[in-house]
Amino acid sequence: MNKVIFSSWAGKVVDNRGLHPNDYASLGDLSLPLEFNRRRVRAFMSWNGLVVADDKVDIVDMAYTYLKEVQKLSCGECSVGYLGIKIMLDVLAGIVKGKGRKGDIELLRWLGAGIKENARCDFCPSAITPVLDTLEHYKEEYIKLVAGRRRQAKSYMIRVTAPCMEACPAHQDVPGYIELIRNCRYKEALELIRKTNCLPQITGRACVAFCEASCTRNEIDSPLAIRALKRFAAEYGMDGGSEPAFKKISGDKSRVAVIGAGPAGLAASYNLALMGYKVTIFDELSAAGGMALVGIPPYRLPKDVLDGEVDTIKRLGVEIKLNTKLGRDITLEQLSSEGFKAIFIATGAHLGREFDIENWREGYPGLVDGVKFLRDVNLGKKIEAKDRVLIVGGGNVAIDCARTCLRLGFKDVTIVYRRSRVEMPGRKEEVEAAEAEGVKIHLLATPVKVLTEGNRVTGAECIRMELGEPDASGRRRPMPVKGSEFTLPADMIISAIGEAPDLSFLAQGEPIETTEQGTVGVDSLCQTSQLGVFSGGDCVIGPATLIEAIAAGNRAARSIDQYLTSSKVVSSEEDVKERLTHDIGLLRQRGGGIIARSQRQSPEQLPSPDRVQSFDEVEKCLTAESAVKEAERCLRCYRVMLLAVATRR
Amino acid sequence: MVRLTIDNQIVDAEEGTTILDAANKTGIYIPTLCYHESLSPGGSCRLCVVEIIANGASGLVTACTYPVEAGLEVRANSGRAVTAQRLALELLLAQRPHSARLQQLARELGIDKPSFTLKEQECILCRLCVRTCGEIVGIGAINFVAQGIDRGVSEPLIEFSPVKCIGCDSCAYICPTNAITVEDVGDTRILTIPDGRLEFKLKKCNTCGKYWAPEKQLEYITQKANLAPDAFDNCPDCRD
Repeated sequence: MNKVIFSSWAGKVVDNRGLHPNDYASLGDLSLPLEFNRRRVRAFMSWNGLVVADDKVDIVDMAYTYLKEVQKLSCGECSVGYLGIKIMLDVLAGIVKGKGRKGDIELLRWLGAGIKENARCDFCPSAITPVLDTLEHYKEEYIKLVAGRRRQAKSYMIRVTAPCMEACPAHQDVPGYIELIRNCRYKEALELIRKTNCLPQITGRACVAFCEASCTRNEIDSPLAIRALKRFAAEYGMDGGSEPAFKKISGDKSRVAVIGAGPAGLAASYNLALMGYKVTIFDELSAAGGMALVGIPPYRLPKDVLDGEVDTIKRLGVEIKLNTKLGRDITLEQLSSEGFKAIFIATGAHLGREFDIENWREGYPGLVDGVKFLRDVNLGKKIEAKDRVLIVGGGNVAIDCARTCLRLGFKDVTIVYRRSRVEMPGRKEEVEAAEAEGVKIHLLATPVKVLTEGNRVTGAECIRMELGEPDASGRRRPMPVKGSEFTLPADMIISAIGEAPDLSFLAQGEPIETTEQGTVGVDSLCQTSQLGVFSGGDCVIGPATLIEAIAAGNRAARSIDQYLTSSKVVSSEEDVKERLTHDIGLLRQRGGGIIARSQRQSPEQLPSPDRVQSFDEVEKCLTAESAVKEAERCLRCYRVMLLAVATRR
Repeated sequence: MVRLTIDNQIVDAEEGTTILDAANKTGIYIPTLCYHESLSPGGSCRLCVVEIIANGASGLVTACTYPVEAGLEVRANSGRAVTAQRLALELLLAQRPHSARLQQLARELGIDKPSFTLKEQECILCRLCVRTCGEIVGIGAINFVAQGIDRGVSEPLIEFSPVKCIGCDSCAYICPTNAITVEDVGDTRILTIPDGRLEFKLKKCNTCGKYWAPEKQLEYITQKANLAPDAFDNCPDCRD
């Protein structure tokens, strides 16, 4: 669609009307969709403008259809946005029916301009943009209709999203639940969250919040505290202490086996159970939760909160069999013969990456893998506190290990990270919290050798690093500085340099393909190379986040349902629209108004450094007052996208 | 204190206050409808929209929500501001042409009648009642129901919780368009709301026998102020 008849995309007008296609001016770098589900895209309309590829497309009808979608999202909280669009639609309805009146076009332009200038949030002003473009550049089409021409039947595709929704792997309706919180409808907010995220208590505490990173307010003051608002909804949305009722389809559907009771497995099970399937989860560990259980320390996610989420899923009829490992206690073949019609593998990434420095493999006591360390602590194993501990790595596992060590009574806790602070993959607020608690961070250095005396670890020989050219990850590659070796004393060294899936169960002859990266191979619909076996989460994408695992679980549940009902798994229309939105990019809308700065509301925290005396949860829930105040800051950046597509032959 | 100008007048305003606060203090008139000094700003009616020039950029903001900033230039009366104010009022007036309050604002802004028509609705969604019930009464019996993705809300509306409502009639008092009205008939208070009515049993005075206030409201006050259970046995006229 790069050769188009007309485009006002991103405010740049390209008008090729009346020209021979050979003479068309190009759109430059803009890549707009050519087809939708093998149907030709005739025109496209969204927050950022209007693009026309087919001069026979009915622009006015398109604007009318688009605006009807916009009205469904116009909240009603301001006179100009809500009433303005209501009247514009009345007028447009008249025009498309051939009952337009003189002055209608001027009225539309006046109202549209007024909405753009003076509506309350970010939604109506941006949503009205392409309609104003049609009025400016396709005025003659309106005039023809006012003169009495009739419209014809059309075919449209519509998608609603927002920058935060788009950034979230599970595409949660963030502006939706924030709005419900603002209007004190907490139970409905929780119900809405649960449609795409079955672990609101967990994600409300420990999500990395991609949504916040893409919040429009980043450009104005600071992003909405979306994670904290989710936790608020999860706590205040409980109806007298219990979860809102679930809409479960009752029925006698097939049995599905889920391997792994982590976030991905729980999300798939939750969705499948709601659809009426009989789900059994098998997990290797002695308790459910996967990485949420053994990877997130209790001061960030208390055990009873996790148990509460798991219990909710159990109450939907999901059975969880613990201490059962795939490849050791059960095989895929066995599960099939026991009557499971589909299997979802979500075994996570629980193996620490091998640390390859001198003396590490000698197995001295005091050399520990970070994932194993956290797992041991979280499963209640007693760990003797030492004086000095070094933690190698800059990710969330390293930070979690460091803060856990402080709480176990280690006196001197130091993180050694080979790059600089900006490259640290750990969440910024976690890094700050660790430092506030007394964790030391040694940047631009890495251990090269474990120092020992007899059978005892005494420290690490380290070398200073400097940053070179960017590597494959886009971060600058750390390079050792010759001759800069120095010693850091330590009684214990924890390696937290990355995790990988443990796919040893596949070595037992399971016919499932794996990737070069050592993960389970799947297509975009979570299907493995074996029919009826699906996979998702960390064991597919490598160590990632809670919300990516939940999204994979949601996706897998849809695929499994398709497989079991029609034995054909295909991309849904929503998937295609999603890819399309991704290709276009969620550009900031044109000409946004002035928005007042406001203070982000933060939940109260246990005071530091005293809080390291226990594993008590550090962060509190927002109060109702601060949650509503925070919700008021949401700019409601919903975006409506409409495609006019060729009718199906 | 920060110094700003409103319609070329220099105004010193306290930090954290709004343009509207500063204008009111200086005696500069900006039309308002959903604003009330005792409530948090709503920004719903869009009538107090003004033009501001800050850091070289100009734009429209609502005076009731926008905080004062040093060096801010406010034009409450510019062509752009007044055009926007008038459109907002025309829209509200089209929604509720019979409101005396809106008619009075229309006269102030020089509007004869709206350029368009809508099916009349008594409630103009200004949310004054919602905020009053939540912030002043402390009950939160009135909620705003907004539209959204697949929310199944065909029209945004205000919704009363009959369980929470104590029948105090603060909402009727604050409503600018008479969408909520109250009437005491015999031993019953009738609150007429946009989509129905609520009834409350009135308490009888032990002395004069007059029905004088909703029992539910008196129970709420008794509980909240920790009063004796018999504190409201008599009406104010018959109390010592």
